[in-house]
Amino acid sequence: MESSIIKERVSDVLVSVLEHNNFEMHDELTAKDVDGWDSLSHMMIITEIEEHFNIRFKLRDLNKLKNMGSLISVIQSKI
Amino acid sequence: MVFNSFDFVIFILPVLLVYWFVLKKSCVSQNILLLGASVFFYAWADWRFLALLVVSTLLNFFLGLKIHESEEDRKRSVFLYLGLIFNVGLLLYFKYFNFFYEGFFELLSAFGNTSEYSALRILLPLGISFFTFQTLGYLIDVFNEEIEPSKNLLDFSIFVTFFPKILSGPIERAAAFIPQLQEKRSFSYPVFVDGLRQILWGLFAKIVIAENCATVANLIYNNYENEPGSALILGTFFYAIQLYADFSGYSNMAIGVSKLFGIQLMRNFSTPFFSTNISDFWRKWHISLTTWMMDYVFTPLSFTWRRWQKRGLILSIITTFVLVGFWHGANWTFVVYGFLHGIYFIPLVYSGKMNTSEIVAIGKWLPSIKELLKMLSLFVLIMLTDVFFRASNVGTAFEYLKKIFSKSLFDFPTSLLNGTVLFTTLLIALYVCIEWINREKKHDFEISKYNIYIRWFSYIFIFILILFFGRSAETFIYFQF
Repeated sequence: MESSIIKERVSDVLVSVLEHNNFEMHDELTAKDVDGWDSLSHMMIITEIEEHFNIRFKLRDLNKLKNMGSLISVIQSKI
Repeated sequence: MVFNSFDFVIFILPVLLVYWFVLKKSCVSQNILLLGASVFFYAWADWRFLALLVVSTLLNFFLGLKIHESEEDRKRSVFLYLGLIFNVGLLLYFKYFNFFYEGFFELLSAFGNTSEYSALRILLPLGISFFTFQTLGYLIDVFNEEIEPSKNLLDFSIFVTFFPKILSGPIERAAAFIPQLQEKRSFSYPVFVDGLRQILWGLFAKIVIAENCATVANLIYNNYENEPGSALILGTFFYAIQLYADFSGYSNMAIGVSKLFGIQLMRNFSTPFFSTNISDFWRKWHISLTTWMMDYVFTPLSFTWRRWQKRGLILSIITTFVLVGFWHGANWTFVVYGFLHGIYFIPLVYSGKMNTSEIVAIGKWLPSIKELLKMLSLFVLIMLTDVFFRASNVGTAFEYLKKIFSKSLFDFPTSLLNGTVLFTTLLIALYVCIEWINREKKHDFEISKYNIYIRWFSYIFIFILILFFGRSAETFIYFQF
């Protein structure tokens, strides 16, 4: 799957969990830049992404997530 | 050899002189001196466990390299698990053996077994809770490829044993600490003076505030059966301040001493009582332990239980805080202490305010009434958990709390009507004011921006208070953990 499509879908997940779209998707985007992306919503976002793409993250994948770019590439490596 | 002793001054002066005047050109010789001084310091405190410290250092160093070198996932895991078993095993044996052993016998006696239980005499190696957490974190970081393992045994040994932090932290991370040893330290006058300032402030907190509060708190706690509820709640107030001043004072001295050598340790307290919710409080209280627990306990747990959403999160928080409590010692009192703190998070999880950090009174002199009420009520909630922290067993703690919430809460606390209580209260007021003024600074006594008259007035004033009101202090609360 192309990364632009993944990005779009991740954006949909974010909107559905956080209930707003006040963010711009780019590779350097981090949780800190987005309102309401805290430790609770983080786990909800991860769970939603897993269901959406039918993948399973490992804790080690999670530790590697530094920004949106790395999230997209981890997803890409799993589908 | 505590920081506030003459022995320590005699020890550190020659080390500093040699470090900055003789060895200023060579990174390796500076490091050799730091290691030598650290080993000497630890041996002076308790030579019996020096061998244990050496074995722990060597084994963790070796395992870090092995985890990194191994290409197969299975092998990497084996080396990690060996490290976990060794480090956690050390803690379990030295710190918790009798706790579980006694529990086991109690369980047996519930089934009618009548054999006698006698506790083993196990001495607690100084600083074990602190250095094993450092090495545990190190191995997990290497395994997760967050850091490269240290290939230099000298650097790694200093990471484990560095004398300003070995007895009571801060619990350092290799990623922040080890790189500082890889370059020669050059003398910086502002950093050195800042270190001295932080030591002065830590000394004031410890021997003036904590020790005077201890006198009052002990007066009440040692005689709580005969005191009214009003005295008990005040006793707990003084104990809460004592605990904070004792450990934050120690931490400031540790960080200050380290700065004298040009090495930055992590901040351990950031005026935690000026928080408006429990989550904020724990972001500012014993930061090196809390962040450690967040990274290595809370995150994996909340990940594992992520499908249970809010319930999973609450379970992760409570488990994490029970462990935070239990880390302090093998006693149910600490378990209850941690559990209560975990419970305090529940409203935050449901209101979605877990991660909102409210900085009080930004750019203002005073907090708003609302902020003040929030800070005060949080303080009272925390103070009540400190009853468990202080009590020798859970039963006593409950009795103590029961007396607080009795009619005698409205009696006059006559035993607290004396000079010591009065001047301790005034000193606390001064302490809180200075912490309030410096609440957004890098540490509680960062006054470098003030003019020379204010600075020197402050130093002399604090020094005089130490001379007049300081009490001798042989130990720190956190040495026992």
